[in-house]
Amino acid sequence: MAQNLQYFLIPFLQPEMMLLIWVGVFAGIWVGAIPGLSVTMAASLLISFTFSWDINSALALICGVFVGGVYGGAITAILINIPGAPAAIATAMDGYPLAQMGEAGKAIGLCTTVSVFASFVGIVVLAVAAPVIANFSLKFAPRDFFLLAVMGLLLIGSIGGGDPIKGITAGAVGVLLSMVGMDPSTGELRYTFGNLYLMAGISFVTAMIGLFGVSEALTQFRSSGMKSPKQNLDRIIPSWATFLKYLPLSLRSALLGVFIGALPGTGGDVAALLAYDQAKRSTKHPSRPFGKGALEGIIAPETANKGAIGGAFIPMLTLGIPGDAVTAIIIGALFIHGLKPGPMLMIETPHLFWMIVSCLSIASVALMVLGLISVKPFAKIIEIPKEIVMPVVIILSVIGTYAIQNSVVDIFYMIGFGIIGYFLRLYGYATGPMVLGLILGPMLDANYRRTMQGAENQILPFLQGFVTSPISLFLTLSIVFLLFSQTATYRRWRGLE
Amino acid sequence: MEESKEILAEGNAAEGAASLKDLSTFVPEAHRKPGELGIAAITFLIGALGYYFALDMTSGEYSSPSVFPKLASTVIMLCSAVNFFRAVKREKPEATAPSLARFLFPGDVVVVLCFLVVYCIALPKLHFVVSSFAFLALGMIYLQRGKHIVRALLVSAASLAVLVAVFRYLFLVILP
Repeated sequence: MAQNLQYFLIPFLQPEMMLLIWVGVFAGIWVGAIPGLSVTMAASLLISFTFSWDINSALALICGVFVGGVYGGAITAILINIPGAPAAIATAMDGYPLAQMGEAGKAIGLCTTVSVFASFVGIVVLAVAAPVIANFSLKFAPRDFFLLAVMGLLLIGSIGGGDPIKGITAGAVGVLLSMVGMDPSTGELRYTFGNLYLMAGISFVTAMIGLFGVSEALTQFRSSGMKSPKQNLDRIIPSWATFLKYLPLSLRSALLGVFIGALPGTGGDVAALLAYDQAKRSTKHPSRPFGKGALEGIIAPETANKGAIGGAFIPMLTLGIPGDAVTAIIIGALFIHGLKPGPMLMIETPHLFWMIVSCLSIASVALMVLGLISVKPFAKIIEIPKEIVMPVVIILSVIGTYAIQNSVVDIFYMIGFGIIGYFLRLYGYATGPMVLGLILGPMLDANYRRTMQGAENQILPFLQGFVTSPISLFLTLSIVFLLFSQTATYRRWRGLE
Repeated sequence: MEESKEILAEGNAAEGAASLKDLSTFVPEAHRKPGELGIAAITFLIGALGYYFALDMTSGEYSSPSVFPKLASTVIMLCSAVNFFRAVKREKPEATAPSLARFLFPGDVVVVLCFLVVYCIALPKLHFVVSSFAFLALGMIYLQRGKHIVRALLVSAASLAVLVAVFRYLFLVILP
């Protein structure tokens, strides 16, 4: 125990590490805030910087960027309705309406506070229960990932913009678009029409930037006399009463985030979407209706994606399996520095585990300070006249899209998605479900087919699996419950209507 | 007290938003929007084409690569049919309703779209700095209706300088 505490204190006793964590968080907030620039990209860039560094310093910087970057995604989602990262898509649903009402400062302040809380929840779970959760997450079969994706798709009801049928249409178009490219399991080309660019598939980040960013700019140009809402910056930090009021929701969503983050291959984006859906279903009296500036609609996704940070480290540190793309890069960094990530990592190098826990804790404190300091300047951005901001937003969208894989063709796709998104919005089709379909389509397709192959293409054994495995049974019942909870009977019974 | 202030703030925001609405392209909620039937037909066509091209993919087993494309296409076609019939049932557009072209492309949207297309075409040829400066400056000058030309040029140059400095030199991102 004393030994572990000693390891935990290493970053506190080294000013250089402390500085690197703070620099990492600061850079992460900005990288995360810009659509297209991802934490994964920043972490992979940093790996090349840190080849010659001490592993401790490299990890300190990457942990800082990770925590700052996941938070940064929410900033642009709230301010200009363009999520900086897929994990912030749900945040835009209620954050942007708040900004339109002049409450951007309040929204970002609340987002910062609950983010720090959730980040600590993830860190505590990582420190206390990592091996147990890691072993449990390994019991998830492809069938369970398929069920998780189905649960994610049910979110269409929440983000469909009030018309479920139009939401499902957009979601199904998203799933169809996600099928474009080379099938990862058989190598067969789907909907590529001999086009080389289509073989790699359609990046959902490109689609997200177009559908949210460019379509938002075009929609704004429909309004005459484009006045920017004056922002109220009097109360940025939420009161204790507000924090305590939303504590149960924050804790619930953070724990959901930790668990989803710990599942290999799923990360903050899926966690945030599921948490938003869960909050919408379970909140009896939201501060405002969901989709129109409900504080719960910011708290749930933001706590879930921060909880997922600690969660993503669980399988990485205990089993050597990455929880998400960033931890996969950190595994690469460990290899470069001569370490062997795997089940023996915690036994052979326990200091590494405790040092990462420590770095994440310091990064969370840094996030609190830097996040709150940046609220006012960030909120002021929205007061700049839109005829100046919107052209810059379009240029940012272009830079972000090009940065994904340095392809001009992606910029054309992005603009195309922007125009499609503009038309869809005009006719009441929400753009969120289409991005949701693009994100979840490959997860649905791959895991369904793996499960079906495991059942030797027989329907009965395939269906039996859903009730014979305890995890699958739990998830299946959860889906049935989620569907039932959308019925008027349930909502009347729970007093939600 | 706190609550009434919030409601007031919401009311003001809503009022402000209403005053910004461009009435020349406004269609009441109960009425069918120009082109609403068309968009349902287009999404149906997307579903139909999706299914048609999925027929070329390997099929025959429940785990074939064509399963999800066919499923998604079918869902699109079914939902589009429902959207189409729901649109048919809605009240017809009034005589004063905007034309399809006016509804889809009000003046500013057309101009910005044209700038955007020209910008995309120019981007590989003129490279990022020149084409982006032209897009920003022209966009801002047009959207400010020709006022503050010098300010638009200065803001374009300054914001581009910041973008290049941050992305190219700080984050080492390659620009188009």
